[in-house]
Amino acid sequence: MIRLVLLAASALLFAASAAQAADDVLIGAIYPLTGGGSQAGLDAKTALTVEADVINGNHNIPGLLGKGGGLPHMGGAKIKIIFADHQGDPQKARAEAERLITQEHVVAIIGSYQSSTAATISQVTDRYEIPYLSADNSSPTLTRRGLKWIFRTTPHDEMFSEVMFQFIKDMGIKTGHPAKSVSVIYEDTLFGSDSSAVQKKLAEAAGIKVVGDIRYRASSPSLSTEVQRLQAANADVVLPSSYTSDAILMVKGMNDLGYKPGAIIAQDAGFLEPNFLNAVGPLADGVLSRSSFSLDATASRPVIAPLNALYSSLAGRPLSDAAAREIVGLQVLADAIDRAGSTKPEDIRKALIATNIPGDQTLMPWKGIKFDETGQNILGTPVIMQVKDGVYHTVWPDDVATVKPVWNVK
Amino acid sequence: MTFHVVAQVALSGLLMGLIYALVAAGLSLIFGLMDVVNFAHGELLMVAMFATFVIFQATGLDPLLQLPLVAILLFGLGVAIYRGLIARALSVQFNRGMVQIFVTFGLAIFLRGAVQFVFGGDFRSISGSLLGDRTLHLFGLFVPLPQMAAGIASLIAFAGLLLISRTEFGKALEATREDRDAVALIGIDRNKIFALGWGLGAATVGVAGALLAGFYYISPNVGANFALIAYVTVALGGFGSLLGALVAGLLIGLVEAMTALFLEPSLKQVGVYAVYLLVLMLRPRGLFGTI
Repeated sequence: MIRLVLLAASALLFAASAAQAADDVLIGAIYPLTGGGSQAGLDAKTALTVEADVINGNHNIPGLLGKGGGLPHMGGAKIKIIFADHQGDPQKARAEAERLITQEHVVAIIGSYQSSTAATISQVTDRYEIPYLSADNSSPTLTRRGLKWIFRTTPHDEMFSEVMFQFIKDMGIKTGHPAKSVSVIYEDTLFGSDSSAVQKKLAEAAGIKVVGDIRYRASSPSLSTEVQRLQAANADVVLPSSYTSDAILMVKGMNDLGYKPGAIIAQDAGFLEPNFLNAVGPLADGVLSRSSFSLDATASRPVIAPLNALYSSLAGRPLSDAAAREIVGLQVLADAIDRAGSTKPEDIRKALIATNIPGDQTLMPWKGIKFDETGQNILGTPVIMQVKDGVYHTVWPDDVATVKPVWNVK
Repeated sequence: MTFHVVAQVALSGLLMGLIYALVAAGLSLIFGLMDVVNFAHGELLMVAMFATFVIFQATGLDPLLQLPLVAILLFGLGVAIYRGLIARALSVQFNRGMVQIFVTFGLAIFLRGAVQFVFGGDFRSISGSLLGDRTLHLFGLFVPLPQMAAGIASLIAFAGLLLISRTEFGKALEATREDRDAVALIGIDRNKIFALGWGLGAATVGVAGALLAGFYYISPNVGANFALIAYVTVALGGFGSLLGALVAGLLIGLVEAMTALFLEPSLKQVGVYAVYLLVLMLRPRGLFGTI
């Protein structure tokens, strides 16, 4: 009799878990799917779709991913991503976040490319007490507003800029031609303002003179005057913080004026988009950029090759820095939901706080993923890349470099 | 700040201004003719740029040599837009102004979406064209050849437009503009004139697009950058005035460049709008406006 009851109970339990397995875990993803940044948004959509397929399917990909069929601690529940379009507009981002939470009932939100849109999304998620995973927003202030529900896997611009200045210093020592002056040129929204503010502070601390400080209007039809001012300042190193269209105009403008700075070290974004390389072609050669991802680090990160194959078959181009960060963002979020074993926001939040993933379990060249009390990943360690023959190669730090950097500062 | 820097910036500003002027000329033509603000004007520019890009990819024909071809294509598109959309919008019985705005606005969103659907949101550029990325070093100034050629071509296009305005057709355009009901009495088919006017306006922006495609990036959203400036240029120069569009375009290019040089670059549009407001306060019909 007792055995029968046990049997019935376990059957019931089984039925319950089977029923649960049918329930998808809904995650909202807000990206610029139309408008100026739409290609970045569409790439993000592909990246997240690939990663969701890896988690849901039964892939033989090493690391945390694809252990087989959904989230094991949730009865094999599948992840389902609901995409929303913010068009690069913070107000639309706010409205879409609210819609996803109140009408689509997502358990968490991932996003959002432009930092200014992340600022409004994270306000909404804090109000509704839903986790927001910031996969690719790099403005430092985002995690400094005392919000409880934002978790950022990507390094922010301050961490990136620190690495840029370590690189500048290191190149000075190695080549005997240290940079004595820098110019900052940056677009006038949150990303550019934050990035350049940190760069100016770091330059001062390193004893490097800031000779040009040029804030320009984002997506303006021409940047020739801005480049002219850059040329007049004549710094050893130019540090741009720009999105794609501006990056194209800037590099073309430099060519128009016959201006070649000793080094251009970009704050990622537009300069690291495949689009940028396509549009300016050979003019991009020698451009340096910080990056959080190195596609050529396949030796130390075995998941890069299979993920890149999946991604490029859909996107028609290799994984970009942004796409890699979006993949890792979803990986971390899915891992937390799995460990939480529940879709209750508070449980997911606790699991996110407890996250501790070593770098080699991801596709990133990072030390790993571990959040501090503000929600910032403190183990995301960036790298420096350089364009050579139309392709970005990792050039610094030495232990992950695949090509030697070219440094033309005199 | 040396004289050399100022001269270089002024040159860049004026070259850009010639493009602004040509984009605005097409808009001004349509607006002056029939009081319809074409909100899809920037998208026509974008379509012209993509057309140039596609023809270049397919045939290797240089953007500069494509000018007549793209102009004819856009002329056809302009006529089609008038016949298919605008003529219908004009025939509604109530709230005609609103309907016209919504029709061209909807067309803008449609064109942008359609191009993004076909080509994706990528930024493209034409590389390996005749003048591509080459610069001339002249009297200590750097003159980017594609922009220079575009500036000259823009001036030629303006001369062409002026010539057209002297012809029989140009006079019919002018007459239709002044009184669209009276011209019917002397046997001018105003529908035909309107259609040709739309064709001519679109062809003008088509020429601007083909010129721009030679040195600018090409993306589905590129039109928006130029459209806003085109509206300001038209209002500044005076509605319907060709000379006004040319002078206002040059003025805007110059003011923009100088504001960026002497004040904050992020304020360069503020400089443009300051001039715009000033002109509107002192001369509401614009610099060369007659209406």
